[in-house]
Amino acid sequence: MTEVDNAAIRREGMSMAGMFEKYGLIVFLALLLIIAAVTSPAFLGPQNLVNVLTIAAPLGMVVIGQTFAILVRGLDLSVASLMATVAVLATAFKATDDSVIPLIFVAAIILSAMVGLLNGWLIAKRGVSPFLATLATMIILQGARFAYTGGAPISTLPPGMAWLASGRVFGIPVNLLALGILAVFAGVLLHRSRIGRQIYMVGTNPRAAFLNGTSPERITILCYVLSSVCAGIGGLFLLGYVGTVSNWVGQGYELDSIVAAVMGGVALSGGRGTIVGALLGVVVLVVISNLVLLLGFPIEMQEVIKGVIIIGAAAFYRQRLM
Amino acid sequence: MSAIVATMRRNRLLPNYMVVLLLLAIIIVAGTLISDRFLTVRNFSFLFQQMVVLGLVSLGQTFTILIGGIDLSIGALAGAITVFVASFLDWRPDLIWVAVPVAMMLGAGIGAINGTLSVFLRVHPLIVTLGMSSVIFGLTLMYRKQPGGSVPIVFEDIAYNNFMGIPITAYALVAAFAIAGVWLQRTGTGRMLYFVGGDEEAARLNGVPVRRVKILAYALAGFCTSLAALFLVAKTGVGDPRIGLPLTLQSITPVIVGGTILAGGRGGVFGTFLGVLLVSILNNLLNFAGVSSYWQWVVQGLIIIIAVGIYRSDRRGG
Repeated sequence: MTEVDNAAIRREGMSMAGMFEKYGLIVFLALLLIIAAVTSPAFLGPQNLVNVLTIAAPLGMVVIGQTFAILVRGLDLSVASLMATVAVLATAFKATDDSVIPLIFVAAIILSAMVGLLNGWLIAKRGVSPFLATLATMIILQGARFAYTGGAPISTLPPGMAWLASGRVFGIPVNLLALGILAVFAGVLLHRSRIGRQIYMVGTNPRAAFLNGTSPERITILCYVLSSVCAGIGGLFLLGYVGTVSNWVGQGYELDSIVAAVMGGVALSGGRGTIVGALLGVVVLVVISNLVLLLGFPIEMQEVIKGVIIIGAAAFYRQRLM
Repeated sequence: MSAIVATMRRNRLLPNYMVVLLLLAIIIVAGTLISDRFLTVRNFSFLFQQMVVLGLVSLGQTFTILIGGIDLSIGALAGAITVFVASFLDWRPDLIWVAVPVAMMLGAGIGAINGTLSVFLRVHPLIVTLGMSSVIFGLTLMYRKQPGGSVPIVFEDIAYNNFMGIPITAYALVAAFAIAGVWLQRTGTGRMLYFVGGDEEAARLNGVPVRRVKILAYALAGFCTSLAALFLVAKTGVGDPRIGLPLTLQSITPVIVGGTILAGGRGGVFGTFLGVLLVSILNNLLNFAGVSSYWQWVVQGLIIIIAVGIYRSDRRGG
C-alpha cells in the first residue's frame, strides 16, 4: 500500500501540473528579484538579502507549522495570538539572567503544545470546524494575555533573547539556522517518514486513511500540535527581534502564514503541498514587501499588493490543479 | 448539559433557537440579581444603541454563512465607508442625501465583487474576502492614515435620538432583521439561499441560479456592513480606517451562537438576532459585575466553543 502511495506521489511530482506548480513560483520569484536588482542595485547585496531573510525567519517558522494544519484540511488562526502569549510567558519569569532562556523555551513549547492539543481535540474529537475552533482559542488566549498584563507592554527580558535575532553562529544568523533546523526536521517528518505519508493520506481522503489503519483523529491532533509548537518557537524568535513584549507581538502572522503557504502551493483543500514550497512562499512574500519599499510606493501599498496576490495565487493553483 | 439538550431536542421539546433563549433568560435573571440598574429601560436603550453595529454586521454575515461561505472583509469595508462618509461630508449637511446612497452602493458593490471573484475564480471565499480585506484596508490607509473628517450634527442625531423613549437605532435594527427574516423564509429568492447552502449541486440541477444567488448573498453582506458603518460614523463623528477591524470576527460569533452552521444551509436571522442579544447582554452584564473587558474576550471564545458543542451533539443525537 505504501509503495503505491509513494508511486502516486512521485508520479504527481513529475506531471505537467506538478512541474508548473513547482517552477511557476520560482520563475515568479526570479522575476521579482530581477525587478528588484534593476530598481536598486543594493537589493541583491549579501547584506540586504541576509537582512530580508532574517526578518522573515519567525514567519518561516510559523508557516512550517501552518503547513501541517492546512495539509489535514484545516487552518490555524490561533498562531499569532499564541506567539504573543508565548512572548508574555517569556516575561513572566521576570528574569534578567541568560541561564533562564532554556527554561523559557521549554515552558513556551509546553504551553504551545497544550494549545495545539486543545485545537486538535476540538477539531478531531468534537468535530468543530478548524476555523471556529482556532478562532475561539485565539480569542481566549488574547483575553487571558491581556488580563495578565493589563494591556501594558513589558520589557523584562534576559538580554540573551536579543541574540536570537542578531547573533551569529559560524557566520550564519542564529534565527536562519534555527529555521533551517526546523525546516529539515519538518521536511524529514513530512516527506520521509510514515507519519508524513499518513498526514498526506488524511488530508487527501480521511475515510481511506481510516480504512488503511491510520487514525485520522490522531494525525489531525498531531498536526495542530506541530502548528502551535512552531508558532510558539517563532514567537520567541520574533520576541528576540522586537525586544519589547507588547500584547500584539506577531499580529497579522496568522494571515501572512496562510498567504505564504497558499502561495507556496499548499492547497487549502488538504493533502497537497511541501515544506520547501511553503518556505518559498515566505521568501516571495518578504521580497514583495521589500520591493514595494524599494520602488518608493507608500508602505500601505504592501497591504493592497498582498491582497491581490493572495487571491491571484489561490486562483492560479486552483486552475492548474483542476 | 449538552446531553440533556440533545435529548430534549430529539424529542422535539426544543426548537433550534430555544437553547439561546434559555441562556438569555438565565443571563437576564442573573443580571437582575447582580445589579438593580441592569433591568431598566435606561440600560436596555443604551444596550440597543451599543448593539446596532454588531447586529447589522452579524445580519450581513448570516447571509454569507447560510450559503456556506464567509465574509472576512466586513471590518475593513466598514472602516473604509466611515472614512468615505466623514471625508465626503466634512460638516456639510446638504450632502447627506448623496453620501448615504453612495455608501450603500459602495458596500453592496464591494460585496458583489467578493461574490463574483469567489464564484468565477472558484477560490474559497475565506481567501477571496481575506485578500479583499487587505486591498480595502491598504487603499483606505493610503487615503487617510489617522482618524479624521467629520459629520454634520444632524447626522450624529441618528445615532442618539429617541422615538417614544426608545433609540431610533433599535427600531432600525429590529426592522432590518424582520425584513431579512421574512425575505429569507417567505420569498423564492430568499429560500434559494438555503437551497444553495444545503446542497449546491442539487440546487443547480433544480434550476437555481447558484452563481447569482451566491453573489447576491455577498452583496447583501456588504450592504449590511455599509449600514453598520453609517451608524458607526454617526456615533463617533469621524472616519477611522481601523474602527471596523474587530467587527470581522465579532460578526461571526452571534451567527454561530444563533444556530447557523458554518457548512451552510441551516439557521436563520432570528437565531442571529438572539445571538447578538446574548453576546451584547452578556458583555453588558460582565461590565456590571466589574469583570475587565479582557476576560470578556475569554468568555466570547468559550461561548463559541459551547455553542458549537451544543449544536454538534444535537446533530449526532438526532
